[in-house]
Amino acid sequence: MDGERLVETFVELADTLVDDFDVIDFLHMLVDRCVELLDVDAAGLLLVDHQGRLQLIATSNEQARLLELFQLQNDEGPCLDAFAAGTRVSHPDLANAGERWPRFTAAATEAGFAAVDAVPMRLRSEVIGALNLFRNESGVLDATALRTATALVDVATIGLLQQRSIHHHQVLTEQLQAALNSRVIVEQAKGLVAERLQVDMDTAFAALRGYARGHNLKLSRVAHEVIAGNINTAELLNAPTRTTPLRR
Amino acid sequence: MARYTTSRLAQVSRWIAEEAVELGVPVSVDALCRTAVARLGVSGAVLTVDTSGWPEVGCATDALGERLAELQVTVGEGPAVDVWRGGGPALVADLDAPSSQARWPMFAPLAVEVGAASLFALPLCVGAIRVGVLSLYRVEAGHLDVATLTDSLAFAELALRLLLDEQAGLNKAGGVAEDVLPLHNPQVHQATGMVAAQLDVGMADAFAHLRARSFAEQTPLSDLAADVVARRRRFDRDGELP
Repeated sequence: MDGERLVETFVELADTLVDDFDVIDFLHMLVDRCVELLDVDAAGLLLVDHQGRLQLIATSNEQARLLELFQLQNDEGPCLDAFAAGTRVSHPDLANAGERWPRFTAAATEAGFAAVDAVPMRLRSEVIGALNLFRNESGVLDATALRTATALVDVATIGLLQQRSIHHHQVLTEQLQAALNSRVIVEQAKGLVAERLQVDMDTAFAALRGYARGHNLKLSRVAHEVIAGNINTAELLNAPTRTTPLRR
Repeated sequence: MARYTTSRLAQVSRWIAEEAVELGVPVSVDALCRTAVARLGVSGAVLTVDTSGWPEVGCATDALGERLAELQVTVGEGPAVDVWRGGGPALVADLDAPSSQARWPMFAPLAVEVGAASLFALPLCVGAIRVGVLSLYRVEAGHLDVATLTDSLAFAELALRLLLDEQAGLNKAGGVAEDVLPLHNPQVHQATGMVAAQLDVGMADAFAHLRARSFAEQTPLSDLAADVVARRRRFDRDGELP
């Protein structure tokens, strides 16, 4: 594991007191770094909405099959279990998970995943969501990676809940509701871009994100401007090169 | 252990249906606002809708509600205006607090002057589709407790569904169905974006087209959306091509 990169990640996760803090960008950073640092193949983060539904906020990639895996977990799956129990849920070999989660296991296997871990986003008695890690090879997640994942999720949770006055639920509600809606704007923009440029959703998302990074803008802002017609979709493919290369 | 919220949508939907029966009116945003006042312990409710790019009063349970909505349009600022622009709720426990007065220097003093003490503005939107804002207010300052806040958001979600049904021309006699619209399915939103590009219309129109088509064909919206995303179906301005 890249120690320097890990330290850098913790510093970034703790940096939530900035004026232009954006929940979506923040949680995208978390899932990307999980894939980068923990030797997992995909990661996604679900937050619970006001009606107790788990909603996808960020994933390391946007393939339809992976999105389906997250959506399924409102009915069954490791994220739902981790969220409900407030504890980590792991399954090192999905070939044997069919009884526990029949639909989830079938979909995960079809998507090429063999092992799964889910870590709740929890602070004391409050659980606000869960991180899901997927691996292509079966086997128990390395103990160091597991500890690191838990620590990253804990720091992120504290970051999100840091306005811990007695009325912090109001601030949290404002932030989470806005983030959930921003995620919908991103989906709408993906569709618009996919159709205009005749590309798939994953490519459309990469284009939006590349533009956001290249212009130092929030992803949700770029999605909004594309829908409003203020950013030309054709321009998305000509994003300037990042000053720091995206490390994987 | 977990704060495992079971959905309040069904309960709140029943409340609205009961209120509508009692008033002898169909289920509507009007009945919804009245139910919110009766059940949430707020002084009033006002629903503003988008008709001309600016929020206009759709219904209000009293004159204060109307006043609060109009004031925000007049001075061009306020919690409902922020919600309209931003997409997240604005929950203001005390309009007279320095933080509120600093955030809305024109609106907050006027709101206090006309008798409001707290204001909770909730967005009615689906991503970029801004349908309206449901504002609840009290003549006394104070936060909404967690249960009331959860129910308030359920009221907002049901109001959104009612208005979306109206926009899509689907006036169901049955009332507010709490879970027929799969707003949590990302493919529905992706398909909306694709249809917006295919028809060269805004997201609201694209979404209405999708819903109308799903209704006409009796196909679940999720299935139709999956077909659009997979490029098995597309929408065309001169009529749909298969």
